[in-house]
This record gives sequence, C-alpha cells and structure tokens, in this order.
Amino acid sequence: MIELHERTRRISPSRLHEILLARDCRSLVDPFMGLPTHLNYLKRHGIAVHGGDLLEWFVRVGEGLITNDITILRDSEVAEIVEMLPGRIYSLDMFKAWEGVFFSEEQCVYLGVWQDNVRNLRSDQQTGLAILGLWRAFCYWLQKTQSPDDMQDLPPSELAWSYIRQTEQWVQANMRRNTVRQGDVLATMSAQRADALYLAPPARNSFRSADSRIWMWEAWWQGNPYFTIEHAYRDSLLGARASDPAAYSRAISTILSHADDFPVVIVQTTEQRLSELEPLVRNARSKVETVAPHPYEIYLIATN
Amino acid sequence: MTLFQDTGGDPRAPRARIADVLSWYGAAGDVVLGNSPGFCIRKASLAASLAEIAALPQTERDALYFAGLLHAVGAIGNAAYRKGDALPDRMAKMESWDIPAQGARICAAISALPAETSDMVRWQNECWDGTGFPDQLRWHGIPQPAQLLALAETYVRAADPDEALNAVGLQSGRAFGPEAVRLFTNWFHLNAGELTVQPVPADALRESELPDAILDAAADRIDAHNGVPGRWRRVGDLAVATAELMRVPAPDVRALAIASRLFGAGELRATSVEDEQFDALSRLGIETRARNAVAAASFAADIPSLAAAAAIVRARSEWYDGTGKPSGLRSAQIPTGAAILSTAIAYDRIDRTSRLDEASGTQFDPSIVRAVMEAAKAIA
Repeated sequence: MIELHERTRRISPSRLHEILLARDCRSLVDPFMGLPTHLNYLKRHGIAVHGGDLLEWFVRVGEGLITNDITILRDSEVAEIVEMLPGRIYSLDMFKAWEGVFFSEEQCVYLGVWQDNVRNLRSDQQTGLAILGLWRAFCYWLQKTQSPDDMQDLPPSELAWSYIRQTEQWVQANMRRNTVRQGDVLATMSAQRADALYLAPPARNSFRSADSRIWMWEAWWQGNPYFTIEHAYRDSLLGARASDPAAYSRAISTILSHADDFPVVIVQTTEQRLSELEPLVRNARSKVETVAPHPYEIYLIATN
Repeated sequence: MTLFQDTGGDPRAPRARIADVLSWYGAAGDVVLGNSPGFCIRKASLAASLAEIAALPQTERDALYFAGLLHAVGAIGNAAYRKGDALPDRMAKMESWDIPAQGARICAAISALPAETSDMVRWQNECWDGTGFPDQLRWHGIPQPAQLLALAETYVRAADPDEALNAVGLQSGRAFGPEAVRLFTNWFHLNAGELTVQPVPADALRESELPDAILDAAADRIDAHNGVPGRWRRVGDLAVATAELMRVPAPDVRALAIASRLFGAGELRATSVEDEQFDALSRLGIETRARNAVAAASFAADIPSLAAAAAIVRARSEWYDGTGKPSGLRSAQIPTGAAILSTAIAYDRIDRTSRLDEASGTQFDPSIVRAVMEAAKAIA
C-alpha cells in the first residue's frame, strides 16, 4: 500500500494577497508555481500572475486556471472524457504497471482511457481543467487505499464527472495578462517583469521525497508509469545542486541575484528552513521584513 | 465616553463584557447569512467539544470556540450580501468565497482574541480534497481545528443529528479528511448525537482593548454593509448630546450610546437599503422599522451587557401618540432613550432639517424634538 506522507507546501493565497496589497503590488511572478490554485486566487483578486514550473501537468493546469479567462467544459465535453468512446482504440494496459500496487484493474483501465481522452481534447484550457478534475479523482482513489472503510465507493466516471464539472467555478477573468510557462526558475524570472517575485523554493533534496500524488500525476500525463521525478529536476538549477548544502545555497543566491528587477521579493519558508534561507535573503537585499503567522508559514519580504 | 464603565455597578469582569460584544458580533454575522438564531454558539460549542476529543491544547480549544462564534463576521460587508445592486449569481458566489478571509482580517484586528482564532476562521471552509475556499488548501495543509469547524458547521446546518452523521460520512475524503470523520463519529456516539451548548470562554480573552473599540468597529462595518456609512456615529453623537442636554442619568446615556451602535444590525437581513424606501416621517415605513427594531433587539436582549440597550432599540419605532409598533407604547411608556434614539435617527435621515417639527406630538415627543434640534445646533 502506498504511504501518503504529505510533502506539499502550504500556500495561503489570501495571506499572500494581503502582503501584496500592503505593498501596492499588482503583479507577481512565481517560478516555483506547483499546482497554481494560489495564482488562481490572486488572479481573481485582480493581480496579474505569471507562473512557471518544471512539471508539465502543473503548467497544463495553469493553462486551465490562469491563462484561461472564459473556457469551461460543458456536460457533453465532460462525457467525452470520463468514459470510453465508441470507435476509439485505447491502450488499456498503459498503466498496467500500477495495477495491484496502487490501483485496481478497473482503475488502471480508466486512467488509460482518461489519459487518451484528455490528450484528444481540442483546447489547451479545457485540457488543463480536465487534468485538474481528474487529478482530484486520482487523489480520492489513493486516499481510499489508506482509508478503505471510511470513504464511499463511487463509480470512476461519476467521481471524475463531479470533479471536472467543479473546475468550472474557478474560471474567471481579471482583465490582465496572465501567463504560465514550463521552464526552470531563471527562465521564468527573465521572461516576465512584475511588482513582486514570490519564491517558495523546494527544500534541498525534496524531490527525493516528493508527494506521490504529484509525481504520479506527471507520470500519468506523460503516459509513462515508470516516470520518476528526478528526470524532471535533474538538469534544473536546484536539482543539479540538490545534494550539497553549499551548492544549494549558491543556487538560491543565484536566483536572488537575478531578482534585482523585482521591487519586492517574497520568500516563503518554514521555521525549520529559516536559518538556511534568511541569511541568503539578507545578503541579497538591504531591507528584509519577516511575517511569521505560523512556524510552517514564514514570509521573508525583501525590498530595496 | 466609555460605554461599559460603571453600568449600574455591574461586577462582571471586563473580559465578560468583551465576550458579550463578541457574541453579539457573531450573531450579527449569522443574520447576514440567514442562519438560525444561536447558530454560531452551537457551532462554537460543537467545535470545542470535538477539539476536546482530539486532545487539542486548551488554548487552541478556546481559540476554536471564538472562531466558531465569529465564523460569519466576514459576511458583514461582503459584496455578495452588501446592500445595493445585486451581483450576478456567479460573481456573488465568487465574492462569497472571500467571507472567511474577511472574517480572518476582522478577527486579527481584535487583539483580545486568542491569536490562533484568525486563521481558524480563514480556513474553516477549506475542503480536504482541495476544492474549498478561499485558499484551496488540501490534505494536511488544512489545520485540524479548521476541519473541526467545518464538521461543526455541517452538524449545525443539518435538520437532525442523524442527517448530520450521514452528511459527514458522505464527505469523507472530500470535504473532510477520514481522520476528522472518525473523530466526529466518535463524538457522535459518545454523546448520542446531542450537542451541549457551552458558555463563552471569557477567561481566554485578553484585556488588551476595551469592548467599546470592538463594538465601534462592528457598527462601522454594519453601517457600511447597510449602505449608510457612518450613520451610527452621527446618530449616536446627536442622541448622546440630546440625552446630556436633557440631564438623562449617566447609565441611561451609556445604554443609549450602545443602542446607537446596535440598531443598524436589524437591517442586516434585508437585501436593499430599506432606510431609503420610505420617508422617515411617514407612517408607511413603520412595519419595516418595527421589524428591524425587533430583529436588532432580539439577538442583543439575552446578552447581559447589552440588554438595557436592546430594550431601547426594540422601542425605537414606537410613536409618541401610541400608534407605533411593535407594542403600541405611548408618551411616557416609551423609554426616554428609545424616544431620543428614534428622533435622532429621523433627524439624520431627513438630512438634518427642521422637518422634525411636522412629526412633533404624533411620532415624536415635542420636548425631545426641541432638545434634538438644540443639540444638533450645539454639535454643528
């Protein structure tokens, strides 16, 4: 049975929004975007948001939630995703490797069908929304392997349907240009100027213990159940320096040294990692303010 | 003027007065959302009970109680509920997602509250699967107390305990984490599904501010929500100046000052600016004014520090000639504070003109009309 030890960050966009408003920031770049639900919140509140990540499925979801202003999935379109379509040839054993390990035979078949159906959607925005909705169904299944007696048995297509339909509620426009891109941190930072740069960098070596719900969904999107997250990070700025503390610090300093064009830099960290990151931020900027609502949610706000 | 000082030698501790004001504020939030009376107290009590089973530290249990009590204050002033042009459904829904964050900001500004209260309010509507609001937190990113608040909300909203148990079970792995559902189920079976209402843990509050400041901020917010910003300050200043001119005893003046902060809460439920629908001196608006007066008084009447003011608010739509509502009191039967308050409200409403004379002897006590006009000149 898979262990769902959670390693994801807690990002509170409502708090981040308060920090941005207090500093009159109207645009933000987040090069370690992850699942961009926090950027969706900021977008809804009128902030122009620009995100980047190395994992493609995050970027695809960003196309559904961030760059997408109006496109939703209608019932007929959802129906084309959640069930096998007559006349289409599916590779039903695409996720056979997960059978009996993480999922049942039926679930593995559905994962393959969904992957194929989503790949055949006609718009990037709809694809992003579908990936998000199906991911939630996938997480439900994984959660159910942990608590089989506590959770309802729901037919796969019904579960997927409800989650995909739910994504519609997050689609909105803010009359600003919002972007997402797949790329390393420096590429995202150099592609877009903004009032604020938000950095929630992964901890050193964190990709080795990444949440299975994150990397498995990239594996699903790539159609490769043997995908490992190290492949995505190996040649990145932080990934290449993940083992050595000094090299990791140098990588963070490199990022901060490239942030001169951003009037405000917000680094989110935890009490545990504060001693590692704070000196680097103070070295890069003259004024650093600390906002620490919780030990696991600390903001270093650097200005010139 | 300090609102709660020396009110009849009340021995109640200052913290208890803060607790009273917070209870009133929480109830006002519930009114906006259309929740049943006592909703916030029940939610707070259940959340605190669940926290006890979860073995949370006492400080967190107290904070959780206050988070339950104030769970809806963010709705006061929220664009989805504020008076004025109605928003399209989709936009109203999105605006309503901001209620928890707005509530968190309100709680953060109340220094008397336990520090943890604010974020419990902020995250009370987050769902385990990441589909909640405002922050779309997921899994263990949602603090346990916030999940307990969400469970308590489901219980209090359900028609009966069994329906609540069923609703919680269906949401396992979706709105609630399976651990939280197990905890709720334990509580349910230990207590046969029956909720015991707990008193407000006033001792957990800090005496870092006067209840006056909290009441003022709440009244400001209520007036902004009602589309009449700053009304209570104008009305309150005039009413207090009138009462002092008439040499009303100090405790009664304080009750009047509190009443000027409470009466606007009666209009929270309405979706339009009711105050503007009828002339303040017309009999046409009497039903609306009486309904608002009774509503505002109803959720303050049982709160010890506010009971005297609630009696003033309730009688503020009575007429001097006995044809008013809700009780048809006449002349001396109407509490002086209520007669002053109603005259001051009307004076503010009719743009501070001398039209008050038209209603002197019918709607208003002539001596109070004269005093109000005189006090208004003095203030100006």
